[in-house]
Amino acid sequence: METQRIVTPPVDAPQLEIHAPPAPVESQKKPKTRGRTIVVTSGKGGVGKTTTTANLGVALAARGARVVMIDADVGLRNLDLVLGLESRVRYHVLDVLEGRVSLADALVRDKRVPTLYLLAAAQDREKDDVATDAMVGLVEQLRDEFDYVLIDSPAGIEMGFKNAIAGADEAIVVCTPEVAAVRDVDRVVGLLGNRINAQLVVNRIRPALVRKGKMLSVEDVNAILRLPLLGVLGDAADVIVSTNRGEPVALDEASATGAAYRAIAARIAGEDVAAPQAAEPDGFMDKLGSFFGGRR
Amino acid sequence: MKARRIVVTSGKGGVGKTTTTANLGAALAVRGKRVILVDADIGLRNLDLVLGVEKRIVFDLVEVVEGRCQVRQALVRDKRFGESLAILPAAQTRDKTAVTELQFADVVNNLAEMCDYVLIDSPAGIEHGFRNAIAGAAEAIVVTTPEVSAIRDADRVIGKLQERGLPMRLIVNRVRPEMVRNGEMMSVDDVCDILSAELLGIVPDDPEVIDTTNRGVPLVLDPAQRLGAIYTKIARRLEGEMIPFTQLGSGGFFGRLFEALRAG
Repeated sequence: METQRIVTPPVDAPQLEIHAPPAPVESQKKPKTRGRTIVVTSGKGGVGKTTTTANLGVALAARGARVVMIDADVGLRNLDLVLGLESRVRYHVLDVLEGRVSLADALVRDKRVPTLYLLAAAQDREKDDVATDAMVGLVEQLRDEFDYVLIDSPAGIEMGFKNAIAGADEAIVVCTPEVAAVRDVDRVVGLLGNRINAQLVVNRIRPALVRKGKMLSVEDVNAILRLPLLGVLGDAADVIVSTNRGEPVALDEASATGAAYRAIAARIAGEDVAAPQAAEPDGFMDKLGSFFGGRR
Repeated sequence: MKARRIVVTSGKGGVGKTTTTANLGAALAVRGKRVILVDADIGLRNLDLVLGVEKRIVFDLVEVVEGRCQVRQALVRDKRFGESLAILPAAQTRDKTAVTELQFADVVNNLAEMCDYVLIDSPAGIEHGFRNAIAGAAEAIVVTTPEVSAIRDADRVIGKLQERGLPMRLIVNRVRPEMVRNGEMMSVDDVCDILSAELLGIVPDDPEVIDTTNRGVPLVLDPAQRLGAIYTKIARRLEGEMIPFTQLGSGGFFGRLFEALRAG
């Protein structure tokens, strides 16, 4: 069955509060707001976990919520790049867990949306360096300060995935209309078990291909997964551009994908929002044709 | 004669490792090479689906390692390629830790006695599954897309391959020439410069690949698929032929990514 390796901190590391279990009920303190803890995961890589985390973080914060995003992809961090915050990352999750800096020092505040914060992953460390109970403690501490703790899971179902889901009560599973992605997501939903409440985002739908019978439809995908549908996103080129530039599309009022992310954020916040249609990219096949036809 | 043992890896998921493994294997098989594909993604196997052989799996990699069957019994032949192409499937209901690096390398070495090429499909990430996948290999193909996140991950993986002394070449996947010309996507030249890597292939983005993959048809067998010819070229380069690349414009992301890599 599942093996959980608990990595002991260095001997001279100070004892951290966050290693302790959450405050007991009989605590004298006035109960604080308990933020929601949501992991964004998928099993398969490259389906849009990080893009979804960044954009939902931006969209929720733009609604006025206090949001912190944790990059759980130790060794292969990317959430900082997608948010355009890479030059401002000074400390990471393991600096906090190993007691080198305070949580407040490690949080990077997004200047565009002032209630949005990032806690970056370590880039030069391994996922096995993070102890699952320490990760849970960190999430518990953050949910006392924030309305939403969004955790960006790495691909796969190894240690990094286990750490990412350990502190979460809810999951957004991202799937693309590909049989390989559906199979991986199905496996992940099984691993999330009954404790974590999962909802589905279907990403990179191309309605024209679905109509031609050349792509699985949202209904096809969810006939297998059978999850509450949180949102549908089209396969838009502006998402690639926004990732490369570090400017999430949710900030772009003119972007159809941005609007779709804002609608998902509204739905997460409890609003009854109709699902927007996945937008069709313009003339993409013409562009592709020019590559094959117009070779220099 | 011993086979070439090549791992297909990337760091980032979803950039096309499995599609590359399947199609490169198919292209080599069409050229008469005997090819065995190994799915190293225990728990999240997909190579069987991409080749459309999922219903014919009897035994898997973990069962081979645990001595519950012979490696030959676990191989699933892709009948469309006669005797040339076979796959060793991963276990779906086990953890990656069910196999050690040494055990993995041992299986790959056994397979190398039976064919001309062993192509190992690595899982995403750089955890245990990745370490297994590279343990049996003597060469690597790194697949990336022209996106900052994929390139940063590829850079990290290339560092790990260099630590092992594994020679590597690069496939840049899902290039959109129009976006490159508009300055919205990095060029292949930029990608190679940033990663200081030798290029093995350039594959344009084609949304219809998803359909072919969903149906389990390798691109070289689908006459409607223009990408089949591209994988054939890559196979020929792998065989040592000099085939020129189609180069496509220049983008404007070099500076930002270079900074990010130095910082990270």
